[in-house]
Amino acid sequence: MIETYKLTKAFKGKRAVDEVDFYLDEGESVGLLGPNGAGKSTTISMISTLIKPTSGDVKLNGESIVHNSSKLRKILGVVPQEIALYEELSAYENLKFFGQLYKVEKSILEKRIQSTLELVGLRDRQKDLVKTFSGGMKRRVNIAVALLHNPKVLILDEPTVGIDPQSRNHILEMVRRMKEEQGTTILYTSHYMEEVEQLCERIYVMDHGKVIATGTQSELLSILSNEDTIKIQVDKVTDSLIETIQEIEQVHQVEEDKDNLKIIAKKSSNIVRELVLAVEKEKAQLLNFQMEKPSLEDVFLHLTGRTLRD
Amino acid sequence: MSTIFFAQLKKELRRPLFMILLIGASVGVTLLFTGSTQAPMQVAIFSEEVSQDVLDNWEEKLNGNSSFQFETKEAAEALEDVKEGRRDLAIRINNNDYQVVTSSEFPEIAYVEQHVQKAFHEEAMMKAAVSQADNPENMREELEGYLENPPLKIEVSSLKTDDLNNYDIKTQLAFAFALLVAMFLIGFRISNILKDKVTGVRNRILLSPISKTQMYLGYISYSMMIGTIQTLIVFLIFQNFMNYDLGDNFAMLVVITIIFSFSMASIAMLITGMLRTPEQFLAIYPSVIPLLPVISGAYMMPGALTNPVLNFIGDLFPISHAMNAFVEVAFFNPDWIELLKPIVFMLLIGVIAMGIGINLMERRSA
Repeated sequence: MIETYKLTKAFKGKRAVDEVDFYLDEGESVGLLGPNGAGKSTTISMISTLIKPTSGDVKLNGESIVHNSSKLRKILGVVPQEIALYEELSAYENLKFFGQLYKVEKSILEKRIQSTLELVGLRDRQKDLVKTFSGGMKRRVNIAVALLHNPKVLILDEPTVGIDPQSRNHILEMVRRMKEEQGTTILYTSHYMEEVEQLCERIYVMDHGKVIATGTQSELLSILSNEDTIKIQVDKVTDSLIETIQEIEQVHQVEEDKDNLKIIAKKSSNIVRELVLAVEKEKAQLLNFQMEKPSLEDVFLHLTGRTLRD
Repeated sequence: MSTIFFAQLKKELRRPLFMILLIGASVGVTLLFTGSTQAPMQVAIFSEEVSQDVLDNWEEKLNGNSSFQFETKEAAEALEDVKEGRRDLAIRINNNDYQVVTSSEFPEIAYVEQHVQKAFHEEAMMKAAVSQADNPENMREELEGYLENPPLKIEVSSLKTDDLNNYDIKTQLAFAFALLVAMFLIGFRISNILKDKVTGVRNRILLSPISKTQMYLGYISYSMMIGTIQTLIVFLIFQNFMNYDLGDNFAMLVVITIIFSFSMASIAMLITGMLRTPEQFLAIYPSVIPLLPVISGAYMMPGALTNPVLNFIGDLFPISHAMNAFVEVAFFNPDWIELLKPIVFMLLIGVIAMGIGINLMERRSA
């Protein structure tokens, strides 16, 4: 349905997006995973025709949309990362304003506003000014605006940033329902890997403007099929301890988290013994030891050497 | 276009205080600098020589000018008023001349004296002519008829030295402060484009089927409308509640105000196009705008500003041309042709600044 070919965007000579190849089939939900500054939002802006690529192409059903965006815009709904609303207006007035911009017929618009407000759980607060809403409620109105014209493709750019867990769950549930009940094609970007794991069938992992891995969740996890994720808790974490662990031959990554150390190491029968010896050598006390199934977070750590929230 | 226009209007109606404050500021600042409302100056006339009938005739004759109001009083009362400072002056009417009784040296006193002298001069000429006639009463009636409807009229005019008899700095300041405040309001409303760009609303508008032209028209037409309404409200307040004489042709003031609002919206668009955030706009625009009336000589008498560099810079901004046009309308009763030059200049500034401003805005968004 939508595909990009060597999509590139450079700002003052620096490539924010670097030759990204990407496709999105009708009815599927695809995640774009990466840390802040990875180039996700720029990629989305180019796909949604808001900015022109420096080079490369974006195609809708095989037809380039870089210079003729009207076909895509008709079927596209975009939820931006910012709260793109008029805070001085009520939720209802905001929806009406954007509905009129999208030329939704008057007779349909009123019903559409009410059903969308119902979907985002704000029907009873529709007359309230947006500026009186909590962050989570604002995000829900932000999403509702993008749904008014019944888009076939919905792009959500980090729609859950900075909100409470309840609103976050509401948004995730809403996106899932849209995909399952209405067959909406979804492109979801986030740096929360658990959201992408829950919602998306395929995932693109981006870092420094490039796609560094792609596939289904299980395909990505298979990158770490020869590795174990081990979490150990010690009484005190020192630089010296981390260095000693890193010197173990099988260890690929060590990440510090308070009193815990997360270690990605090659599958090996004697890795446990080696770790215990390292802790003893540094005169630390081992309090807890846990072998974990690798997650997408671990895959990202493995691929880039840093976490998604870095 | 209308969708964006009405959304801006709805936002304005939610917070009308800003506009009300600006209207209040415009009127308040003018009063602060001019010191008063524009009521005609009260002048007492009295006599210790002529009869009450003669004095009443002089009162009628002198009350032909809307800037002064003459009223007959008892001599003692008139003199006491001047002595106590309740009146700036009084006129003593004698059989063949008059005296100005005053205790101050305000410039208005010279204007009053000039006016009274002119009336006495006319009366003296009339008396001289009538005294030579066989039938003095018929002669006086005939002469008065000719003075009201003269068979020949000579009008002297010049491009550079127009008659400044009616000029009043208070009226000019009322125009200048109204325009200054309008520049702020128009600018802040144009900066909504920048605000919407930062919040992401602009992107949403761009993704909708509405064209960029319609989008810009929505913002610009709203800013023009709000600037025009605010300025006209201020003019109406001055004209109807404070007795300022803004000229006889209010329609001309309306047209000039609309064109000024367009031209100023363009300047604001140019400044907006050069900036990235509303915060930058808030820092720069209010710093630059108060300088424009000063450079344009809006607070000074016409022709007082002679520095060619300042005149050139002033001419680059619409307030200079709008002030010229307003002063023309208020004091010289011009026809439309005479207003063509400032109007064309304002339109020219508007078109050029708008073109560059939108271009800059689009380049920064690319």
